[in-house]
Amino acid sequence: MASDERIGEILKAIRDAVVGYDDEACERLCRSALEEGVDPNRAVMEGLTGGMGIVGELYNKQEYFVPELLLCADALNAGLSVLKPHLKVENASEKGKLLLGVVEGDIHDIGKNLVKIMFEAAGWDVYDLGNNVAIAKFAEEQQKVNADIVALSALMTTSMLAMPKIIESLKAQSPGVKVLVGGAPLSQEIARRYGADAYAPDAVAAVKEAANLLGNVM
Amino acid sequence: MRLKQDRMNSAERAKALFDYRKPDRVPISMIAPGFCCRNAGLPITVAYNDPQNNFYAMYWTAEQYGWDPIPQIVRHTVVETLDFGGDVRLPEGEYEGALVIKSFPVKSDSDVEALTMPDPGKTGMIGAALEYGRLQQAHGLPVTFVSRSPFTIASNICGLQQFCKWLIKKPELCERLMKVAIEHTFNVLQYWTDAFGAENIFVFMSSPSESNQVISPKQFEKFALPYHLIYHERLKTLGIKRFFFHVCGDQNANLPRLADASPWEHPSILSFGHEVNLEAAAQYFPKDIICGNIEPAVIQTGTAQQVYELAGANLESGKKIPGGFILSAGCELPIAAPACNVFAITKAVDDLGWY
Repeated sequence: MASDERIGEILKAIRDAVVGYDDEACERLCRSALEEGVDPNRAVMEGLTGGMGIVGELYNKQEYFVPELLLCADALNAGLSVLKPHLKVENASEKGKLLLGVVEGDIHDIGKNLVKIMFEAAGWDVYDLGNNVAIAKFAEEQQKVNADIVALSALMTTSMLAMPKIIESLKAQSPGVKVLVGGAPLSQEIARRYGADAYAPDAVAAVKEAANLLGNVM
Repeated sequence: MRLKQDRMNSAERAKALFDYRKPDRVPISMIAPGFCCRNAGLPITVAYNDPQNNFYAMYWTAEQYGWDPIPQIVRHTVVETLDFGGDVRLPEGEYEGALVIKSFPVKSDSDVEALTMPDPGKTGMIGAALEYGRLQQAHGLPVTFVSRSPFTIASNICGLQQFCKWLIKKPELCERLMKVAIEHTFNVLQYWTDAFGAENIFVFMSSPSESNQVISPKQFEKFALPYHLIYHERLKTLGIKRFFFHVCGDQNANLPRLADASPWEHPSILSFGHEVNLEAAAQYFPKDIICGNIEPAVIQTGTAQQVYELAGANLESGKKIPGGFILSAGCELPIAAPACNVFAITKAVDDLGWY
């Protein structure tokens, strides 16, 4: 078992590997963490997720953009693939469950993918329906998943028109579910008009909005 | 439609702008091939595969709303994902408003080297665009050539997500794709020049993948900007002078670098998204005609009164721009924009757009 000091070093190195989008180093460090007896849940939360938290801050400060965010997520996933088999299952959805998709008529999924990355990094269980998701599919999947939050994304003014219909069907079926919307043509005002519970301008903000909706203010 | 005090027609208005003279009023221009089809009761697929009906839908819609085709902005001449062998289908159903990419031509590193240059005479939608160009020429309009920036074309050959990762991990692949993009663009432009004559061509370019919603200004400077310089060198070599650049999305952080370079002929038309302040754009590009920038989502979801007020605010700023101003939506006019809201833009010009 490594000393507290050594554990601290390993966790910091994992964070740095995520922030430095070094997937090979991140994978190697996560293996070392296991070999040296670091609690894998701690390696995820204080290492990988901690690193992604820093990435989110860098994105907010406009020091990181989409290319960096995508590569940091690759590094996180490389580490996660090593640690995941060793995680205690009960911690998997401690933050909440998110059902996510790009609405019907829209194939632009880079924003949705970033949202997925940031939610997973923050410890949410994410159910990703992909892109061009039929209106009825959201309610169908929500019935199976019972997510706390359903997040809808659209890049096109044409496809955003599907959102109010999706929201209406979700609320009719699961009155307690919270709906978060985002995408280039959306705004707070349009989100409100469409019946959504919240709007997020980007992936980092989406995690905060989701936490607010559940009363877990970050 | 003639507005109440019109003293010029669209061609005269365009000439005035390019001579740095004030036209009678602020011209109105829209990127609206899909909207025009729907306005004429046609499916939006017509914008891609039926030049005859698309042309007349756009021609009549422009007349209906008092728009000035400076130039008439049509669907893309270069559809890079399709041209290089990707799988693309026409839009279907109620909510699709553009071509749907089913697979990209480049899926792995090795696909980049294996790319072959498309033949402009046999590729993608170039034939339909050529037919459209003949209709424009027959009606005395400039022939539009519509493409995206080399950076954006390159990102559409392999997919933006892959391209973003390669920018950092394998920049040589991005460079290779951008070289391919510019070669293809100019192969088609040469074909266009042979068909229509350089003096009759109006080049339209958009650059959505370069927005700061995707890349940093440093990445813009390192990767995208050099290809703008090459692009305009080659455009000048071909003898093409007319250029319309839609600087798509939030590119505020790119503007200083773009302004320092501004490699196009002056004046060109520079169109901005609603994310960019028109007065700031005019300061960056004093020798060009500024076009913009009513928020498309408001045109689609707002009330006519809201659209009128937004257009009025645009006109107030735009009329002061010394290089000239064209009123437009901040990006493509939404296909589902209510007719009344589109009319509100014209009414704003009729009430407030006179010089």
